[in-house]
Amino acid sequence: MPLEITMPRLSDTMEVGTILHWHVKVGDEVSSGDLLADIETDKATMELQSFDDGFVESIAVEVGVPVDVGTLIATLAVEEGEDIATAPASAPTTVEKTPVKPPPPPRATSGGARVSPVARRLAEEHGIDLASVQGSGPSGRVIKRDILQLVAATTETTAAAQTTQSCTTEVVATSAPLSAAQPVKQVQALAPTSPWQQDHTEPLSNMRQIIAKRLVESKQTIPHYQVTMDFDMDPLIEMRKTLNDQLANVGVKLSVNDFLVRCCALAMSTNPAFNASFGGDCILYHGPVNVGIAIALPEERGGGLVVATIRNADQKSLRTISQESAYLSKKARETGLSLEEMGDTTFTISNLGMFGVDNFTAIINPPNSAILAVGAAIEKPVVRGGELAVGREMSATLSLDHRVIDGAMAAMYLKTLKELIENPASLLV
Amino acid sequence: MAVATAERIIEFRDALNEAMSEEMRKDNRVYLLGEEVAEYNGAYKVSKGMLDEFGPRRVIDTPISESGFAGMAIGSAMRGLRPIVEFMSWSFSLVAADPILNNAAKMLYMSGGQFGCPIVFRGNDGAGGQLASTHSWCVESMYANVPGLKMAIPYDAYDAKGLLKTAIQDENPVFFLESERLLSTTGHVPEEEYTIPFGQALTRRSGTDCTIISFGRPLHFCLEAADELAKEGIDCEVIDGRTIRPLDIDSMVASVKKTNACVVVDQSWSFASVGSEIASQIHAYCFDDLDNHVFRVHSDDVPTPYSYNLEQAYLPNSRKICEAVRQATYNA
Repeated sequence: MPLEITMPRLSDTMEVGTILHWHVKVGDEVSSGDLLADIETDKATMELQSFDDGFVESIAVEVGVPVDVGTLIATLAVEEGEDIATAPASAPTTVEKTPVKPPPPPRATSGGARVSPVARRLAEEHGIDLASVQGSGPSGRVIKRDILQLVAATTETTAAAQTTQSCTTEVVATSAPLSAAQPVKQVQALAPTSPWQQDHTEPLSNMRQIIAKRLVESKQTIPHYQVTMDFDMDPLIEMRKTLNDQLANVGVKLSVNDFLVRCCALAMSTNPAFNASFGGDCILYHGPVNVGIAIALPEERGGGLVVATIRNADQKSLRTISQESAYLSKKARETGLSLEEMGDTTFTISNLGMFGVDNFTAIINPPNSAILAVGAAIEKPVVRGGELAVGREMSATLSLDHRVIDGAMAAMYLKTLKELIENPASLLV
Repeated sequence: MAVATAERIIEFRDALNEAMSEEMRKDNRVYLLGEEVAEYNGAYKVSKGMLDEFGPRRVIDTPISESGFAGMAIGSAMRGLRPIVEFMSWSFSLVAADPILNNAAKMLYMSGGQFGCPIVFRGNDGAGGQLASTHSWCVESMYANVPGLKMAIPYDAYDAKGLLKTAIQDENPVFFLESERLLSTTGHVPEEEYTIPFGQALTRRSGTDCTIISFGRPLHFCLEAADELAKEGIDCEVIDGRTIRPLDIDSMVASVKKTNACVVVDQSWSFASVGSEIASQIHAYCFDDLDNHVFRVHSDDVPTPYSYNLEQAYLPNSRKICEAVRQATYNA
């Protein structure tokens, strides 16, 4: 029975691979660990090694022909002279197109071919990709020790990161409880014990269950990264004051956030990747520009947060955005929003500026590809025209889905945003 | 126990004697029979003084005819007595295999519940030391295969007394496997009445890296190995199963779920053995918790050698256990 060698999945996103060079030919003897071929993936050129001893019986894929992951690329005879034709599963001599059905488990061909059951379980629990683990057991078996060492290394890194970033909170939108969870626990542990400080549990509200599920899903499935920029807020704040003074008699009171909604929406219409979703095998570019604004709910309504939708925000004036935003905030806090009022966002803004937060990072609100975490406009020493002055600056941090938006695209978007924010007159037209 | 008593150190054989004597004082249906148990005070002096106390009607010397006296005792158990049958060695029980396996173990079932068989068969099991292959039998794997019987293997004097009393009180046939090598060992046995329930394993040593499961004499090798391995930084947990039927697999599973590695040490031969049964159950219940397959240490797969050196090498000794643990924990 010949061993079938299939196109391995060498990266998370790899669907197709191309043999650049065969290091063996039919009849060659190979041992476990020998180089069989160079394979070009979507990311890099990687080496394919043999996991078994035997003889190359057939080569089914020619150099330069892209084939799907899982396609038979060669067969290995375990004993010399074994005739492939006698094997029950007579292998095709030409390229076999495997349907898209379940891709072969990565362990069949990738690095971690053998994994002890407890190592597999621990890897799952800690979210470790087994293909990336070098096994130290016999025949490269991944064992408990390998996973625990990785976990220990990761924990150290995380702990270090937490101590250096203690001022930066990572939350989606305005959800204070999420960010507070860790520090609060520590404080409790240090505080003297008294009867009313005992641990207790409270069942999750429906909203908290949804938040927990969606955010874990988002953080685990979306390759997040962040890009931050500071903005000179003096012109915008000045214009806001002027407009609010002039329009007070007609009940218009524009917030900084209203300006940001319009800025983000306009920037989205010129940077379409920011109005898009990752669609598995495609990128879905949305027509309408719907900006979500995260609204924290009062404790008496069970806390948590919702994201309200300002539909077609790029088509709406500041005044309309302001009215809608105020209406939705009030309704969210008092009676709750309808599905229509919460759905279909294509981008989200989370603003903690009103709480005095300098800067933070947010978790993407799927199926959005980006979320903007906005800090407070703070008076600080700034350099303007080569002179030191006091100015108001705001820091905003984008969290992005790297599957849709690359770093340079994020920078372009922030540049557009910066032009709009720092030259706010353009928002009026 | 209301008061903590001072240490009362006695020999394993005296603990067995106390268990039998105490139960015989409480219940006049209990009696002892076997070769040399009465006039000679027992081939291994386990029944010392019992003839004097209980007289020849309850401490009975038998001819050298295991099949005959085992069968007679089983008949008396079916009719209401509670015999203790001493086999000088379990090796000799082989000639009584038909009554003890075909009658005692199956009586309750085959009589449709009309006859039980509350009987204890006890004696030395395993290599006694240069007794050669026919007199060094470990019968546990062979006999534990039979449904309808219970089987206990004491590790020390305390367990010998507590488990034997439970055996005598049990309504089922109990195969009680002692070791000639342990009879002279001493340990604390309290003055107070106590019994040890069947089916409750005991952790003889706590550890985090590897679970070692065994019964009876090999446990001493296991603890020796654990001390040796501790010097290498391998922290073993040693579980004394105490009874093979019933088997406290839950305690063993709980330990393996903690350590993720397991070595079973069984002094019988490896093929179709108690060790293979436990390994199989651990594989089934701990599949996702194992970092390696269960390793087994047995007596070597040959008849027991007479030569001292060969016999030592043949047993599931500390060296073999250390090697197995190192392999199971990827420290080989």
